[in-house]
Amino acid sequence: MKNFSLRKLLLGCATLVLFILVWKLVTDAKLISPIFFPGPERTYAALEKGLSGGALLTQTLETVQRMLLGWLLASFVGVFLGSLVGISKRARAFIAPTLELLRPLPASAMIPIAIAFLGFSDNMVLVVIAFGALWPMLLATIHGFAAMEPRLYEVSAVLGLSRGQVIWKLALPSAMPMILASLRLGLTISLILAVVGEMLASRAGLGQSILAASRSFRSADLFAGIVILGAVGLVGSRLLSFGERRLLRWQAVNR
Amino acid sequence: MPVTQLSTRLPHGAAGSAPAASQPRIRIRDVTLSYGPLQIIGGVSLDIVPGETICIIGPSGCGKTTLLRMLAGLAQPTSGSVELDGAVIGGPNRSVAIVFQDYGKALLPWRTAAGNVSLALEARACPRAERPAIIRELLEKIGLGRHTEKYPAEMSGGMQQRLQIARCLAQEPKVLLMDEPFGALDAMTRQALQDEVLGLVATTGATMVFVTHDLEEAIYLGDRIVCLQPNPGRVGRIVDVRLARPRDQLLTREDPEFLRLRRELYDLIKDDHQ
Ligand SMILES: Nc1ncnc2c1ncn2[C@@H]1O[C@H](COP(=O)(O)OP(=O)(O)OP(=O)(O)O)[C@@H](O)[C@H]1O
Ligand SMILES: [Mg+2]
Repeated sequence: MKNFSLRKLLLGCATLVLFILVWKLVTDAKLISPIFFPGPERTYAALEKGLSGGALLTQTLETVQRMLLGWLLASFVGVFLGSLVGISKRARAFIAPTLELLRPLPASAMIPIAIAFLGFSDNMVLVVIAFGALWPMLLATIHGFAAMEPRLYEVSAVLGLSRGQVIWKLALPSAMPMILASLRLGLTISLILAVVGEMLASRAGLGQSILAASRSFRSADLFAGIVILGAVGLVGSRLLSFGERRLLRWQAVNR
Repeated sequence: MPVTQLSTRLPHGAAGSAPAASQPRIRIRDVTLSYGPLQIIGGVSLDIVPGETICIIGPSGCGKTTLLRMLAGLAQPTSGSVELDGAVIGGPNRSVAIVFQDYGKALLPWRTAAGNVSLALEARACPRAERPAIIRELLEKIGLGRHTEKYPAEMSGGMQQRLQIARCLAQEPKVLLMDEPFGALDAMTRQALQDEVLGLVATTGATMVFVTHDLEEAIYLGDRIVCLQPNPGRVGRIVDVRLARPRDQLLTREDPEFLRLRRELYDLIKDDHQ
């Protein structure tokens, strides 16, 4: 087991090194104009300058905060509404198809509506993030409830569990693997929408700084921003995976 | 020929728990059950007095599980009625516990053995402080005392089945329905648990309906044995078991009456099993 995860880590690092090497080769050969496409060294320099100078750091924190707030909002609302719909077979039959229909609407289509109601504000961006990230969690909760072993509903009825107890003690834990996977997906969506929202509503953050860098041809700064976005996404998803493994320890023994 | 038998005889296990003229704990009256055009149960009538242990035997698919599900309130008869203490069973009820045949699905995989038993205590609002002691006692009784922190997936089939029994007992039911609970156990564990269950039933005064494929198990446990016949499921014969209680794995099984009953039942069900 240990050996295996170490090998995976090494392989991952090797792939990353290879990627940077190819990146360097491509830029050194000047296949694309350096004005638009900086090499790894210049990107790293911009990263270092931005993070030590503070500007990039505060922007990152802004974006991370936005992402987390929107994601938390979406998680609570998604799982709560999902539980209400999911626990009743009838509600599932009535409401779930409509939700499936609404789901593929791109969250960015919500932005004009949100702007109309909330203007170019931080709240507007928050609402867009929450709305976009809501869907996977809402639907995962509903599907998770629907997929619960029917025998367990019978067990709960025979034991005389209240509806609240059924949700809290049976349906939510049973749907937990699906919900946790959707939380991870939701975090990615939150990050994307935080960046898009910042660009559109020009709120402080990585999105805005990337846009500004691109408009003034500071390609190294632009790439530095993108690298940070990638890192934020990676760290977030890793943290959630870690939490997932801890919460789903009982599943590990099942395999 | 469906036999309706009104038992006024007190079972040995329920000494003094009810007067002879008491109403039955469970009354099954002309019950039929159909799924669509298919009749599964075709006119079953049976009275079960408090404290009695009824064993149900019959070929696979004859409707034993279906009958138990109606007693548990998990299925409703198409016609006829099932009553508990004189009131029609309209749905599941905490005072009727059921040990499901498919033990793997009836347990919460994310809870340990102790957690699974705890669920029954949480359901009946047993104070948090009292739970650990009750859980420990039940699990010890059922032979899982050393496995309280194991998840169901870490347990053998027999252990999972015992865990299900422990959870049902935590429910403190008046009626205990058991659907082939010992099918996954080796002979020794099985006999130990038979005695354990008989002891529990005797001390709590619970009424038990026990489904089994094993004729000897039926004789060893039961006050009466109901032989179900298939297509549609109906009562073929009801055999009284007049063996002294408490029963003993060696003495009871050597009793001439035990051997006679085994012979009688074997001849009875032989025809249903060709
Ligand atoms: N939900 C259902 N829909 C349709 N038919 C069903 C349903 N449940 C059970 N049956 C049928 O009812 C009959 C009786 O099933 P039941 O499970 O009660 O049998 P059983 O006596 O418990 O058998 P076994 O000893 O194998 O457990 C079977 O023929 C089965 O196919
Ligand atoms: Mg069955």
